[in-house]
This record gives sequence, C-alpha cells and structure tokens, in this order.
Amino acid sequence: MIKIALPKGRLGEKVLNLLSKCGYRCDNFDKNSRKLIFSDQSGEINYFWVKPSDVAAYVRLGAADIGVAGKDILEEDGADLYELADLKIGKCSMCVAAPADFKDDTSVPLRVATKFVHTAEKYYGEAGRDIEIIKLNGSIELAPLLKISDVIVDIVETGTTLKENNLQVIDKIFEISARVIANKSACKFKGNAIIEIVEKLVKAVENYD
Amino acid sequence: MTIEKREENITEELFALYRGYGYQRYKPGRFEEYALYRDNKDFLINKNVITFTDLNGKLMAMRPDITLSLIKHCASLQGQTQKYFYNENVYRPSAGGNNFKEIAQTGVEFAGNISLTDVAELTFIICKTLSVISADYALDISHMAFIEGLFESYAADGQPLTEYLQTKNFHDFIKLAQEKGYSEKFIKAFEFALNFRGNAREYISEAKSICLNGKMLTAVNELAQLLEIAEKCGFGDKINIDFSATANADYYNGFIYNGYIKGIPHRVLSGGRYDKLLQKLGKSGGAIGFALYLGEIERYLIKDERPIDCVIVSDGNDVASALMRAQQVAESGKVVYVSNGNANKP
Repeated sequence: MIKIALPKGRLGEKVLNLLSKCGYRCDNFDKNSRKLIFSDQSGEINYFWVKPSDVAAYVRLGAADIGVAGKDILEEDGADLYELADLKIGKCSMCVAAPADFKDDTSVPLRVATKFVHTAEKYYGEAGRDIEIIKLNGSIELAPLLKISDVIVDIVETGTTLKENNLQVIDKIFEISARVIANKSACKFKGNAIIEIVEKLVKAVENYD
Repeated sequence: MTIEKREENITEELFALYRGYGYQRYKPGRFEEYALYRDNKDFLINKNVITFTDLNGKLMAMRPDITLSLIKHCASLQGQTQKYFYNENVYRPSAGGNNFKEIAQTGVEFAGNISLTDVAELTFIICKTLSVISADYALDISHMAFIEGLFESYAADGQPLTEYLQTKNFHDFIKLAQEKGYSEKFIKAFEFALNFRGNAREYISEAKSICLNGKMLTAVNELAQLLEIAEKCGFGDKINIDFSATANADYYNGFIYNGYIKGIPHRVLSGGRYDKLLQKLGKSGGAIGFALYLGEIERYLIKDERPIDCVIVSDGNDVASALMRAQQVAESGKVVYVSNGNANKP
C-alpha cells in the first residue's frame, strides 16, 4: 500500500488524472465530494486531499509516503525529505516585487510583506540586508500600497496582479514547479514501489506535454 | 503503527547488549560549559542550545548532545582504547519541532586506534541495536571519503551539490550541471551516488567503475570489505549503500550510518566516524559511534496501560490489613488499586 498526498485544487486534480493514465485509476473520485481519502481500483494506492501548503508535513510525518508539492512550499518548510522528480507543471516564480518608484533606503531595516517568512529571511540574510517581516496570509500586494511594507516576497505567475497594483518584479528568487517528494523512511521499505510510481508519473507528464 | 515493546524493556536489552560486548557505561553531568558547543556548533544536530549563567558567572548549557562530552573525556585518556555506552536525556528541539524538548538518547562511542575489526563490530552492534526495537529495520551506510572525492573537483559548488545529494534531487542537479558545464563523468558519478540502492553487492561493483579518484576508490573498497563481513555475519541484507547519507565533512571522515524502522517516519539512529572531532580537541586517534533517539520513538512503543484487576477499599479503620492484602495481590502479578472509598475509582 502506497499513500499519496495530493494538493487540493487544479494541480492535484491534474496529477490524479495523470496517475489514472499510469494505471492507478480511481473511479470513486468525485470532484464535488467532501471526501478526503480515496483509493485506486486495485486498492494498492491511497490518496489524501490536503491543503497544498500541508503536503510536505503529511509526507514528513509519514501519513503519506509520497506527495506532490510546489517548490515554494518545500523551500519554506525545509523538511528532511527526498525530492524525486520535477513534474514541470504549475510553473511560476518566487519574486521580490515593489512599487515602480521603490528605492531601497539602507539606513533603516527593509519592511518585507510575505507569507513565505523563511524564504524571505534566507534571501535577505544571504544578501546581508536587515529586514522586518510583515507576515500576511493573502492579498500581499496590498501591503506596499498601504505603506505597511517596502517590498513583498510572493509567488508571481503571470504578473498581471502586480501590474494592476502598480508593482514590479525587482528580483526573481527561484523558479517554482510541482515536485514529487517522498518520506525517507518509507523509501527504505517501499523504495521499488515508490520509484515505479514516480517514473510512470514523470513519463505521463512528458507525454501529456 | 505500534512496536510490541516497552521502552524500559528496550533499554534493558540494549544495556545487556552493550555490556556483553565490553562497553562501559558513561554518565556525564547534566550541564556542560557552553564553549564546547559554541566551538563545535556544526557537529550538533540542531544548533539551538539552552544556556544559563552559573553561580561563578560561567556560561553553561543543558547538554544538547552526549558525544561531545564523551569525546572530551576520551581525549583526556589519550592512547587508550575506550568503549562506552550511555543512556541520557538531551535538550534540543525535536525533529521538525520548534520548541526545546527533553529527549532520551542511547548511544555507543569507541575511541582509540580504530581498525576494520572495530568498525565491523560497531556496525554489528548498530544492527543488533535496531533489531532490539524491530526485526523490520534498514541501515543506510555511506562513506565521507566517497562524497569528498566526488566533490573535490567542484569544491566551490559544495553547498547546492550536498543539498541535491541529500534530497536525491537529480532534476535540479542536472540544470546546475548544464549551467556550469560539468563533465559527463562527474554527472554519471553524481547520478549513481544519489540513486536508490539495488542489490548492495552489484551496487559496490558498479561504484568501483564510476570512481573519479583514489579517494572514492578507497571508500568503495572499505565499504566492500565491511559488506562482506556483514554478509558473513548474517545482517548483510539489512544494509543499503546510500551515498545520499552525508554528514559534516569538518568532523566526519569515514563511514556514516543512518538507521530506520519500518513504520517510523523518521531516522531513529545516526552515527559515523569522526576522527576530526578528536583532532579539533587537539588529540590524535580515531572515534566512531552512534546515537539511538529513543525519546523520538516512544510514541510508537506499547504503553504500560494494564487494566486494574482488583480494587481494595479501606475506610481507614484497618489500613495495615488493606495494605497487606494489596501487597499479596500485587505480588501475584495482578494490578491492585487501593482506594479510601471517597476518591474516584479507576
């Protein structure tokens, strides 16, 4: 039995669809149902729907053997996991953005609004820049407009939201895409089964493209 | 998942195992001078340490680790072969936690002139230790010389390469390799190093063919020797050669061990050879050892929740009789609960 944590939403549904194409069909999955756990036809695979930001935690704690999570979540969580494949879907970037007229005043700490606290701390720590973190959970773009932050660190997909709020990307921290992660201990005992699923999934993504 | 053993039984079995192989118990003080941890921060699993100032104004620490205290002690007995085991509490954040915890830890340390015999004996004791917890265990063994040899030509890129190796992340490695123009030979060796194990014997013979230098080859030959002994002793099938198991190269210089138990989602044992720690303490010789994180597996062990067989109610008039009766019941192997008649009954 292999347990797979999938992120709720479009990305998770896409991965589930790809897994079905690999032979792990799941006819009892109903998109509109509130059921969070379901199995494939063979009963050999158990799927869990979890909040995207919690996938790494479920895998780290062994509730799931493998999972699909964005690179943003993995960088932020810093969990001790294996990262076995890049599915090259759900692509976007982790960026620093600021108002068009932003000029860094290095005589005071930089105020950074973000929900990715560790990512922002690591980025500015490496740059030797003193910062104050403003932890927000959504609508991060609002922070510089209301003058509670100087810059934001956030995910940028198309850049439309930034543009509409008169913000622009001033640095790209890293590229994001969906990654297949695995619990290290599970790999010691179910390694072959895990590798088989991951290899099939990677192949299905390539064919999908 | 539950392991059908109690913590106290495991500790008892482990003590008997270690004593049976001539290891002597070591009991350090609860506190240690903070300077020892400050100077060897990178040796610690977690760099957070609880500190306080003692009555003489000295900065002290609640020990986050036993090995440093033990090796400091061994270093003071230079020239003698020393075999110790310990069972102590340490104070550090638990795996994945963000608060300090008191964590029970058992371990074995060997210091002195280390030969293949000693390494093989320690590996044997590691396997016996894991088997005391469960027969379903796996031991990953790696070798720092293989990893150092692999990285030697690309020292400047050590940090991301180590991270990619530890997470078996080939997809990001290959992007970096293309960007930096790494050689085909190096890419092949790196891919091999992070691959999942197959049959350990086949893996070893393939490892020899991808070695880029003498350092790597020496490591593979040492692994082959150890594996041969392990197979003859009957625990070869529990060993995986996994070069993604690495440790801090400033301290570790030989075999690296990571132990896992089926059903426990994290590593339960880690260890390795750390002659460089002795050198940092100004001493020569070698040191090798491991720690079993007993405190982090306790939730998977069965709990002492025996049902109460008998309740003896005493109204206070003849307490001695009630206690003597309770003693008879307890000595017969049953569980007795003495109540004053007013307290809540179990």
